[in-house]
Amino acid sequence: MSRAKRIMKELLAVKDDPAANIKLEFVNESDIEHLKGSFQGPPGTPYEGGIFLVDIEVPMEYPFKPPKMKFDTKVYHPNISSVTGAICLDILKNAWSPVITLKSALISLQALLQSPEPNDPQDAEVAQHYLRDRESFNKTAALWTKLYAVANGSTVGQKQVDEAQLYGIDPNVVEEFESQGFEKEKVIDALRRLGIKSLDPTDNATVNKIVEELLK
Amino acid sequence: MSEVESDSYLSLVYEDELYDNESMELYESQTTAVHCTDEIPCHKFESLQSYESEFDIEDLQFDEEDESEDEPLREQSTHTLDKPSLDGSNLPNLRYESLTTDDIFQRMLQRVDHLQPVLSIPAEDILLLMQRFDWSEERLLEDWTEKADELLIGSGLKRVHEADKEGENGLVRGIKHRESFTCPICCEDKTETFVMECGHEYCTDCYKHYIKDLLNQGNIITCMGCSLALKNEDIDLIMGSASSHKLMDSSIRSFVTKHNRNYKWCPYADCKCIIHLFDASSLEEYTRLHCSKFVTCKSNHSFCFTCGYEMHAPADCSVVSAWVKKAKKESENLNWVLAHTKECPKCSVNIEKNGGCNHMVCSSCKYEFCWICGGEWAPHGNSYYQCTVYKSDDDKGKSDKDDLRKTLKRYTFYYRVFNEHEVSAKLDWKLGQNIGHKVRALQESVGVSWIEGQFLPESLKILNEGRTALKWSFAVAFYSDPSHNLTKIFADNQLLLSNAVEDLSQLRQIQDPETIMQRKTEFYNKAGYVENRTHALMECGRDLLRKGICKTKD
Ligand SMILES: [Zn+2]
Ligand SMILES: [Zn+2]
Ligand SMILES: [Zn+2]
Ligand SMILES: [Zn+2]
Ligand SMILES: [Zn+2]
Ligand SMILES: [Zn+2]
Ligand SMILES: [Zn+2]
Repeated sequence: MSRAKRIMKELLAVKDDPAANIKLEFVNESDIEHLKGSFQGPPGTPYEGGIFLVDIEVPMEYPFKPPKMKFDTKVYHPNISSVTGAICLDILKNAWSPVITLKSALISLQALLQSPEPNDPQDAEVAQHYLRDRESFNKTAALWTKLYAVANGSTVGQKQVDEAQLYGIDPNVVEEFESQGFEKEKVIDALRRLGIKSLDPTDNATVNKIVEELLK
Repeated sequence: MSEVESDSYLSLVYEDELYDNESMELYESQTTAVHCTDEIPCHKFESLQSYESEFDIEDLQFDEEDESEDEPLREQSTHTLDKPSLDGSNLPNLRYESLTTDDIFQRMLQRVDHLQPVLSIPAEDILLLMQRFDWSEERLLEDWTEKADELLIGSGLKRVHEADKEGENGLVRGIKHRESFTCPICCEDKTETFVMECGHEYCTDCYKHYIKDLLNQGNIITCMGCSLALKNEDIDLIMGSASSHKLMDSSIRSFVTKHNRNYKWCPYADCKCIIHLFDASSLEEYTRLHCSKFVTCKSNHSFCFTCGYEMHAPADCSVVSAWVKKAKKESENLNWVLAHTKECPKCSVNIEKNGGCNHMVCSSCKYEFCWICGGEWAPHGNSYYQCTVYKSDDDKGKSDKDDLRKTLKRYTFYYRVFNEHEVSAKLDWKLGQNIGHKVRALQESVGVSWIEGQFLPESLKILNEGRTALKWSFAVAFYSDPSHNLTKIFADNQLLLSNAVEDLSQLRQIQDPETIMQRKTEFYNKAGYVENRTHALMECGRDLLRKGICKTKD
């Protein structure tokens, strides 16, 4: 069967090129349809220093149909769902060609971390953050990298981190509304829905908008 | 309401009470006898078919086994009775043509030939460029004059470093036979490959696999390794002869989809015809006047260009869409309506309907009753089938809940009559299916010329158009203000057409060729009458719509 041959060959090619810093292995040796790949976060980006794990499903028609890929590692990126890890990338869809390999697809994902496409977002909330306030976005993305994209899974754990910080929201804004009697979680949810990260206390229109959202 | 009752011929047999007693079961068809008039011997029909949802256009298609044999009939069938417009309106018919994908492809090839001396590149390359520009000559020429080179590279017709081509690698596009070649796609050792000027070489098996999926997408297919385009001859070379046809077909498909203002597929199942409307802006005027935008394809299927339904005058597209939506919503409660067998109200033997005749005679107890209302036949008298007007009970001051119940019942009544006419139309078609044989029988046994025999298919066509108009008129009636005088006039028109249709329908059941010839004049007269009544009903329906008496709320 040519699919098996091709996948074995692809695995060898990855092993033969350690300089690329890409890993590719079966989840289970008896199942050639399920692999995990990983690569390093590109230097000079908020993803630097992280190791990103990608789940790969190889369809029956591979390589004539693209593999299904999604991030196992939580990533804060406009083209990657912050919830499911789903990826929006053309070569994994209509622009797939049988000459593309799992390795080259992983390299494309690495390139995607380097240069997001906020106008074709997978995660609208993150994309908005990216477009509105790059500096704040970078901080959040770097925080996620530090929290989640660490080797051998010894994660710091989401619970230990402040929820507001996790979504790049100014903790003072959350506290402000908490002091008005709203629950912290609800405030963060509302601010995320509205895409608001920080607030000028004199901006009454926005304050009203948030209260309205909270009272829904 | 009382005027309706006092109206002499409107001896409405429909009563709410009667209706309540109606069995709501869906009868499975399984009996034999059907009946109708005294003049015509009743015939037995053994094979029964059940009719299901009435709203799929596919359902409206009848068997076309005899189609090829009867082809000449179809082409000349409009000779006997010429009509100014399909629905009798004063607007000119829509200007359109009926095409097949092959017709369109031939035209595209002509355009390519036309462009060839201008662009002076191979015709095959122009075909590719046209594909890329959705067959728009203008856009192609525009881009060509601005940046021909860029266009050729972008379309995969030319490589970025064209100079390399002949000079260095000297590769010729085509199938290669190799001693041993490890294909980078499947990683197998292969002997037959396909190589292009770019140097990318893959085994033909992989190419076959790759191309197969892309043939249905209508886009340019490129080298697996780069953007160099495969031409039709390459595709045929790899896939076997005429595979590129499939690609051209899907390309034309996407062309039709993208130009759906002027191009529409015939919605009938398995029909490959495309209607090309010359002037799409004329549709607006039709819509404004609540006129029907009907077109007929090469296979003689008539449908509405806008909504894709069958001919639905006097209803306009909005009435149709509201009606169909409502029917879909209610259909589960109304399944029983679709039954086309009924129990005899007297002895409960199952009786099947044959042809479009509503006059039923029980095969067992000989009880005569009306198919639509189930009531005794006698009060229907000589005015034939007049169950065309819903009669609501006069009791005033009922609660809202009762009003709702009444609204549903009113709808149910119209829905039921609507369906009865649809079923009748189909049964008429079934009877008329052997029309070609009948005409031949006339030719052989009575010595009638082919042209002379045309009154048969022609009258069948008129009958069907009459039934269809009648059917949709109940959708119009449902949405019309029942208290308005014009609504009553409309109901009168429905009744007149209904009677005319039943009359002609009875004639259509004569089997004996000699009797048919003897009554030829009757065929002519009755068909002509049906046609007049059909147009009158359509005109009246348009008035209801134009004056806002017929309104759909949703
Ligand atoms: Zn009969
Ligand atoms: Zn191969
Ligand atoms: Zn190539
Ligand atoms: Zn057709
Ligand atoms: Zn329509
Ligand atoms: Zn009976
Ligand atoms: Zn009746």
